[in-house]
Amino acid sequence: MPGLFTLAVIAYVCATGLAFAYLIQREELVYRIGSVVALGGWVLHGLAIVKAGVEMGRPPLGTLSDAVSVAVWVAVGLMMWVERQYGVKVLGAFVLPVVLMLSVSSVARPLGLGPIDRALSSAWLTVHIALALVGIAAFVLNFAGAIMYLLQERQLKGKRPGAVYYRLPALATLDRLTYRTLALGFPFLTTAIILGSLWASTAWGSVFAYDPLALFSFVAWAIYAATLAGRTAAGWRGRRAAYFSIIGFAALVLTLGAGLFLPGRHGS
Amino acid sequence: MTLFACGLSHRTAPVELREQLAVDEDKLRELLRDIQATGAVAETVILSTCNRVEVYGVADVAGEARTVAFGHLCRHRGMVPAGLEPYLYMHLDGDAVRHVFRVAASLDSMMVGEPQILGQVKDAFALAQSCETVGPTLHSLFTQAFAVAKRVRTETDIGRHAVSVSFAAVELAKKIFDGLRGRAVLLLGAGKMGELAARQLVEHGAFPIYVVNRTWSRAQELARSLSGSPVPFDELATALGAVDIVITSTGAAAPIVTRPMIGQVMQARGARPLFFIDIAVPRDVEPAVGELADVYCYDIDDLRQVIDANLRERAREADRAEVLVDREVSKFLVRLGDAEVIPTIVSLRERLEAIRSGEVRKALARLPDAPPDTREAMEALSLAIVNKILHAPITKLRESSRAGAGRSWLQLVHELFGLGGRGDKA
Repeated sequence: MPGLFTLAVIAYVCATGLAFAYLIQREELVYRIGSVVALGGWVLHGLAIVKAGVEMGRPPLGTLSDAVSVAVWVAVGLMMWVERQYGVKVLGAFVLPVVLMLSVSSVARPLGLGPIDRALSSAWLTVHIALALVGIAAFVLNFAGAIMYLLQERQLKGKRPGAVYYRLPALATLDRLTYRTLALGFPFLTTAIILGSLWASTAWGSVFAYDPLALFSFVAWAIYAATLAGRTAAGWRGRRAAYFSIIGFAALVLTLGAGLFLPGRHGS
Repeated sequence: MTLFACGLSHRTAPVELREQLAVDEDKLRELLRDIQATGAVAETVILSTCNRVEVYGVADVAGEARTVAFGHLCRHRGMVPAGLEPYLYMHLDGDAVRHVFRVAASLDSMMVGEPQILGQVKDAFALAQSCETVGPTLHSLFTQAFAVAKRVRTETDIGRHAVSVSFAAVELAKKIFDGLRGRAVLLLGAGKMGELAARQLVEHGAFPIYVVNRTWSRAQELARSLSGSPVPFDELATALGAVDIVITSTGAAAPIVTRPMIGQVMQARGARPLFFIDIAVPRDVEPAVGELADVYCYDIDDLRQVIDANLRERAREADRAEVLVDREVSKFLVRLGDAEVIPTIVSLRERLEAIRSGEVRKALARLPDAPPDTREAMEALSLAIVNKILHAPITKLRESSRAGAGRSWLQLVHELFGLGGRGDKA
């Protein structure tokens, strides 16, 4: 029998397909089915996380792949909320592919099976991970918002409205979405990195401790910090802010990739 | 009885003929009464707009009804009925239902998705109602047509995207700014179309409005009519820094808004977007202005291009609407079928109930000492028998009417059970 998590991923796959179908076909029914499927996947995913937590007797955040899985769960929840709040019905087509990519990377290592470094089993560390994953979830949305902004801007500059033009919301809405998700994700990421560094320096005596994930995460943080500073202090908006969001997210994905696939303290 | 929809429209008849035949409201009342008085039709609604003159009705012989209706119409307008014949079409039953639904939903309109037609159909229906030429069939047909039209409007984007220049400008502005409330507009020049676009923006919440014109008195005048403020021509660059949307429609021979000018303006604005709607020919805004970041510049050709895309979008939505209408037509036909057999089912039930209760009463009269539970048992027994017997014929009636063959079965049931009256009496 397939596990809850596998079922959830299957639901996400279906929801992604439906989200693309909606983007192209614009059939209201497709959107509704897609929403229900996504919600179903999210609920299953939530159950899988709870189940893993109960079985292990602690939050299922011990390994990076577990943590990414929870980050995906938060991201999907956030996506559904934003979809309602902003009325951006096509959001799924931009967020779900990222969600899928992240969940597939964590499927490689199923929930709760990773062996845990004794040094890692600490409440402190759980907080570090929990904060980081809320940040990651917000940045998934930030990335989706930036992509949508660039697409819509292209449509408006090109003066030849295509299918996306009719479905995507106004530029100002998309810009606000990327700004707010950045403002939400940044403090979480910052705190997570500070906690992680403190932990690393006490546990291993060095902030980086030759850990690729830590290195990359500083790069991502720096990019996001620059974007936020540009937005608040220098009045950046629109295209430039969108480009930076995309670069920042690329760094974040590299960070996670490094953690999952390169040897280091964050790996299994 | 047959449901029919007949007449002529922009699809079949030239405008000269349509305008000749179009009837005003008072004449329509007269016509409705005259046609009804001939007895050729049981129910009538007449729709007369500049794009169509159509008669909807219920009649024993639809062809005869059409001849009578258009004979009267022609007489009113002093035309020869024979001349009309090649332009007339006729839809019966299911096709008539579909036609009425499509007309009301603006799928048969010259400009698909235009919103006026529904109001016109509603008026035509109300007029016929006031003349008492609407019976149960047309009543349910039109009520349903209004519901279908509403569904089409809310569930598809058939009427959503702008097909006029000024409204296309409003829509584009909404795609850039997320609502126009509080967006400042600058109107440069005094072209009629520019003024119209500015007015549309104001109606959608844009505020404040600045008017720039080389002639100060003209600027003042226009500003007054738009509840805006006039701005001297030499302060154009300053004004451009303060607004979000600029409409230009001057008669100038060379561009007034140049790239270096806007380059400077944008530096001061940061990345706040600026949207130019250039309706003037020759253009007032240099094309190169549109290359600047966060500047969106649409000239009249660009707007036309957007309108073309909107029209294609409407056509796509119309295809979706057709599917919806098809579904609604079959649903309506099923209900119409049910409506046709329901009176028969009711009288069949009444007839058997009369027999049952009569026989039970007789039997009980012969058994004066029967205890209450025996009486109850007899009631229950007889009821059960009647219901069992009725089940098959009632099911058959409903099924056959849904399959479109209800009439012959109705006749049969009436004769078999001696229900009296004609089978198709609704």
